Amino acid sequence: MPAATREGGDKPVTKRKRPENGEPSKKRRKSGKGVDNDLASQIQVLESEILESKKHYNNIATLTEIAAKQEDDIEAALAAAEALGRVFVRLLVSGSLVRRQDASEKDATVTAWLRDHFAGYEAVLLSKFQTNGPALKALMLSMAVLKAEAQHLDGRDEATFPRSSFKKIINALIQSPLEELRQAFYDNFIAEYDDIRFYTFQAIADILSEEGQPEDETFRSSVFGLLLRIEDVPGSNEELSDFYVDPPAKKKHPLYLLSQHKKQAQEAWLAFINLGLSKGQRKKILQIMATSIAPWFTKPELFMDFLTDCYNSGGSISLLALSGVFYLIQERNLDYPLFYRKLYSLLDADILHSKHRSRFFRLLDTFLSSSHLPAVLVASFIKRLARLSLNAPPSAIAVIVPWYYNLFKKHPLCTFMMHRVPRTKEEKELIESEGVLDPFLPDEEDPMETRALDSCLWEIVQLQSHYHPNIATIAKIISEQFTKQSYNLEDFLDHSYGSLLEAEMIKNIRKPPVVEFMIPKHIFTDVGPTAAPEEKDSLLVSLWDFGSS
Amino acid sequence: MPGSQLKRLKASLKDQGIIGAQKSKKQKRQIAQDAKGTSDKRLLRSEALESIREQFNPFQFKTNARGPKFDVTTLRPANDRASKGIHGRPGVAKGKGEERRRETLLVEMQRRNKVGGIIDRRFGESDPSMSLEDKMIERFTREQQRSHKKNSMFDLEDEDEEGTEELTHMGKALKLRGNELLMDDFDGEDLPSNDDSDDGMHPDRKSLKRRRPRGDDDGDDDDADEDAKQPEKKKTSKEIYEEVIAKSKSHKYERQAAKEEDEDIIMELNKSLPELQSLLFQRQKPAAKDGNDERPSATIAGMDKSIVNKDYDLRVRLLATDKRAQPAERTQTEEEKAEEAAKRLKELEEKRLKRMRGQWVSDDEDEDRGDIVKKQLAAADEPVFDPFKSGDDDEFGLGKGIKLRPTAAELGFDDEDDFLIDDDLVTSGSDIELEESDDMEDDEESDDEQDFDPDDDEFVKGLLTAVESKDSVFQASSKEQGDDKDGVPYTFNCPQTLAEMVETFKGVDMTKLPVAVQRIRALYHPKLDSGNKESLGNFSQALIQYVAYLGDNLESGWFPTLENLSRHIHSLAKTFPIEVAKGYRAHIQDIGDNRPLALTVGDLVIFTAIGTTFPTSDHFHQVATPAILTIARFLGQKIPQSLADYATGTYLSILALQYQQLSKRYVPELMNFCLNTLCSLAHQRPQENLGLFPLHEPATGIRIKGARETTAPTESEANSLKVAIISTTAAVLKAAAETWCSVPAFYETFQPAARVLQHLTSKANSAHLPAALVSKLADTTSSLARLLQLANISRRPLELHHHRPSAIRTYVPKFEDSFDPNKHYDPDRERAEGAKLRAEHKRERKGAMRELRKDASFMARENLRVKKEKDEAYEKKYKRLVAEIQGSEGQAANQYEREKAARQKKNAKARGGR
Repeated sequence: MPAATREGGDKPVTKRKRPENGEPSKKRRKSGKGVDNDLASQIQVLESEILESKKHYNNIATLTEIAAKQEDDIEAALAAAEALGRVFVRLLVSGSLVRRQDASEKDATVTAWLRDHFAGYEAVLLSKFQTNGPALKALMLSMAVLKAEAQHLDGRDEATFPRSSFKKIINALIQSPLEELRQAFYDNFIAEYDDIRFYTFQAIADILSEEGQPEDETFRSSVFGLLLRIEDVPGSNEELSDFYVDPPAKKKHPLYLLSQHKKQAQEAWLAFINLGLSKGQRKKILQIMATSIAPWFTKPELFMDFLTDCYNSGGSISLLALSGVFYLIQERNLDYPLFYRKLYSLLDADILHSKHRSRFFRLLDTFLSSSHLPAVLVASFIKRLARLSLNAPPSAIAVIVPWYYNLFKKHPLCTFMMHRVPRTKEEKELIESEGVLDPFLPDEEDPMETRALDSCLWEIVQLQSHYHPNIATIAKIISEQFTKQSYNLEDFLDHSYGSLLEAEMIKNIRKPPVVEFMIPKHIFTDVGPTAAPEEKDSLLVSLWDFGSS
Repeated sequence: MPGSQLKRLKASLKDQGIIGAQKSKKQKRQIAQDAKGTSDKRLLRSEALESIREQFNPFQFKTNARGPKFDVTTLRPANDRASKGIHGRPGVAKGKGEERRRETLLVEMQRRNKVGGIIDRRFGESDPSMSLEDKMIERFTREQQRSHKKNSMFDLEDEDEEGTEELTHMGKALKLRGNELLMDDFDGEDLPSNDDSDDGMHPDRKSLKRRRPRGDDDGDDDDADEDAKQPEKKKTSKEIYEEVIAKSKSHKYERQAAKEEDEDIIMELNKSLPELQSLLFQRQKPAAKDGNDERPSATIAGMDKSIVNKDYDLRVRLLATDKRAQPAERTQTEEEKAEEAAKRLKELEEKRLKRMRGQWVSDDEDEDRGDIVKKQLAAADEPVFDPFKSGDDDEFGLGKGIKLRPTAAELGFDDEDDFLIDDDLVTSGSDIELEESDDMEDDEESDDEQDFDPDDDEFVKGLLTAVESKDSVFQASSKEQGDDKDGVPYTFNCPQTLAEMVETFKGVDMTKLPVAVQRIRALYHPKLDSGNKESLGNFSQALIQYVAYLGDNLESGWFPTLENLSRHIHSLAKTFPIEVAKGYRAHIQDIGDNRPLALTVGDLVIFTAIGTTFPTSDHFHQVATPAILTIARFLGQKIPQSLADYATGTYLSILALQYQQLSKRYVPELMNFCLNTLCSLAHQRPQENLGLFPLHEPATGIRIKGARETTAPTESEANSLKVAIISTTAAVLKAAAETWCSVPAFYETFQPAARVLQHLTSKANSAHLPAALVSKLADTTSSLARLLQLANISRRPLELHHHRPSAIRTYVPKFEDSFDPNKHYDPDRERAEGAKLRAEHKRERKGAMRELRKDASFMARENLRVKKEKDEAYEKKYKRLVAEIQGSEGQAANQYEREKAARQKKNAKARGGR
């Protein structure tokens, strides 16, 4: 193997000159022991011969063959591909592949033949995208060849981006099962060069809009993965300055215009969304909609229907769609009828247990932060969440109560929910004799009609005796004097059972804990019928049979 | 004063006598006589003129634009300057500035771009008026001045090295610095001074001290001595040291003498001690008498210290034992004891309530201590039983029924023997908390034990667990064990880790584990060895792990053992609260890290043990709070997949409820889990939304089906388990409703439960449930409905904010007694300081700019002057040259003219001559 590696190191030199190096390489071949070595040197010979004269152009076919046979010998195939790459770049630079009007028939045939083989070579490279080993190298080679092709294939001075070849590359990239390959492509090309990004969007849009695309999930997910990666939107036309291929001379070229870039991105995304999304993809899109997708859109309004559909579909999808809808409302002045009603309907039994709880609460806080909202509506939200908090995890209660505090500060009318003194004597007597029925209508869908403002927050008072001491303390803030300006919700948002437990466990025990004075006589066993009358089975024993009796 | 400027000038000139009416000769003579000397007169005159000029120069003074202020508007004392409103003298200031610039800036300017230079220190060189004598005088004065530039002549210390004067002694220079031996003899070191603090003092410090005036009389004496001795020859260093030594010796002697004197006094006191003592301890006069008899002779004979000390010690000891002798507490009667116990319980309950409310119990430790002492006293005359002996007996008998009776007795005997040894070894130390603290209940236990009745099998029928199914097997095996003779060794090594413990208990029968544990506890009692405390602490932690380990590998019939071990842990917790708490917390941490939603049976056992060991009603407890949090986490987050999950959840629900029995705190997760369980196990999915709890769709095969009549045996087992779970959950709900019957949102909390139960008893579902269960469910439903109604009636609107309205903060302006409008009275200190600094900065900046501007103008002026001078000189030279040239030209022209004239003359002459 050392010989082979040495050869690999030698290659760049052989590319430059040494047409006569057929001899030494042959010698080496003789001294070499394996087939590998043999093939490698053969490739070298073939390459140098091609560069020597046109006579040996047939070697291209041989090399292509070697390169195509990837399953038996990846290394050799790669070497051949590399050699071919060099050959073609040379040929492109020298203009051998340029069709000329004035060329003789023979030359034209040669050119046509070369072009054929060039296409064949590209196809071979793309076929390598499928397997893990050579894929990255193949990608680099095809991009390098693409660059040469862009500059020299037409024979004109100005470079033109070879869209069809690029589209093939993108297609192969998408078809490839290798996620790392796409990551590499993003890192090395899309993130670096503005034109590559531009044409990638274009190519994706083209590929997706073509008929007869495979409808399978992997294809879509790989497109999705590629699109997801492209995040940072350039800020202005001036930022579009990094180009892989020499940029066109024309100043008005779409490559220089941010709006055109955005348009391509928008088309690619729309084409992708039109394909239909899986639930996970839909969620992902909704999650990043406002931050990374919508900025690519020149007309984010195009999302309107998509978002509305998602918002109406219920469950976590609606939760996620909320931020997108909010983006449109905020940025594009979208008029969403009955927005608050819809928002109110999102407060269902699962919301406080949802993974997206803190996300939702941030938005909810934004939506209800206006002091111009009717108190009736705010009260409905408060009461509804209070009802939900009766079945909520402690982390959710920890958010709700400080949020209430802020709302009460903003909407003093709602404080009647905490403090309601009966006005008249009759009213007082009525309450004394019959108690209070909660006037709140939990099944009412319109937050303006729930009569929540006439209700009281008994639920939160109940939570003041929550089993978790900190939550109980938090719940107590609504019965304290409202002296603080407001609570910073961010302090309360991201808690979970794990973090609460962590907070408890992180404290070291210094003071000896209090130990129950009486050692109970029975833990798992019952007291027995002869026990003293004041002794009773513990709840556990009375409800659970430990098989002792 | 006259109005116009001119008139005023005239008036003031006249005042000064510079102008005025012509004076008569007589007057003139008078004046001349008065003034004496013309020069004086002239001087006076010029001075007067100057002052007048000053007065009338409007730019001489900087004044208020509007004249002086009225007195009433300013607090400044009306001195003359201020009264005139003069702020400054711009003319003078300008002159001064100019002068200073000329001294500094001008010099710099002139020396600019010049390197080096010679400072001319000569005098009189450019002053031709100085005579030679003057110059010599000047030189002398300068030398003198240089020699004492800054110091007085007698300042020896600060003198420069190159100072001209130097003190010499016998022609040798006296070096005052560096050489420590040669001290100024002004210093009293060589004299026997009475300042014993001076001994060994560092000479440098002394030399500094030298010139301080001495206040004390000794110092004066010294001075006098010094004066006398000064003329004598100076001492050598040897002499000085000898004297120092002699002095220190004399001091030593003095100290000894003082000490002896003190001792004499002490002796005197000692002699009179008996009288004092008899006064002090009058009660024990007869006891003290014995000592007294001997004492006088001893003390009189001499100072026999040992006897005195011994006697003293004896007295102290007597004092200490004195308290014992007093009849402090009499033997209490039964009623009193009961009362004591009740009081103790009441106290404990009060403390618990305090903790429940989250108040801090500070005097925990002290009270405990006191109580223990009391208890100890109370228990003093009772036979001490091992808490676990009787406990074991009781447990086993209760747990296993009549068949195991003989074994239990045997065990009991073993225990007793064991304990007797243990008692001898240990209880001599008298206060062992863990034993005494359990006494009370042990008594009760033993009482219970007496009239033990085996007919306790009729215990909650219909509650089935996975464990119960193997009950028969368990009983069979235990029977076999019953035949076994005691296989428990008497000695163990104290296991410190779980692995060691498993190893140690490998051979021990499960039922006899508590005995083994008890023996270990007795063997390694902290009283026996200092290291035992630590090892028992570790043992207790290992025991916790072992209980969990046993729980994980649970076999039916182990529960009594587990219970007993848990109780052992509890009792250990009283001695090692921190270790046990750490053990439990480590277990909880382990659960939280590794399996928050996949609890094992061991975890459940641990949670149960925590619930009994620690007060779960506390507002916050280091162990109980994380435990309930972990339980709630499972209940809230677990989406049950199998019946086992449901069973675990149900067990935890019961536990959670039991945790909150006293404090009645609300556990939302419990409601969620119970309602979800019922909905999941019901035959049909509820059609409508029954409440706001999150509903999980159960896995297939969870829903109950056809449990009314049994079919296949496997299915029936699953079904019976389902029935059991439903029944238990319903019971839990009922118990929860009873526990939380007074919460303000009871209706909202339990209305979903009522609806779910209704759903269960609906026709479609009840068809698949046993009739007994259905009736039980209906029962629960009706009782819930009753409670709900009650809750509605007892509910009142919230009135949370009957707070005293908080007072509006008042800002009464602070009155300044001596208000100065120019001062800033900013109450904000920082701001005031900032403003001050800013003002200062501004002022300084303006000043600096003004100075710079003035410098610039001065330089410009100076440059201009120099230029003018140069130009003038040039002009002068030019003119001179021109004049010179013109002169010489004129001369030449004249000469030419003359020559010409002469030639003409000559020619004319010659022509005439011709």
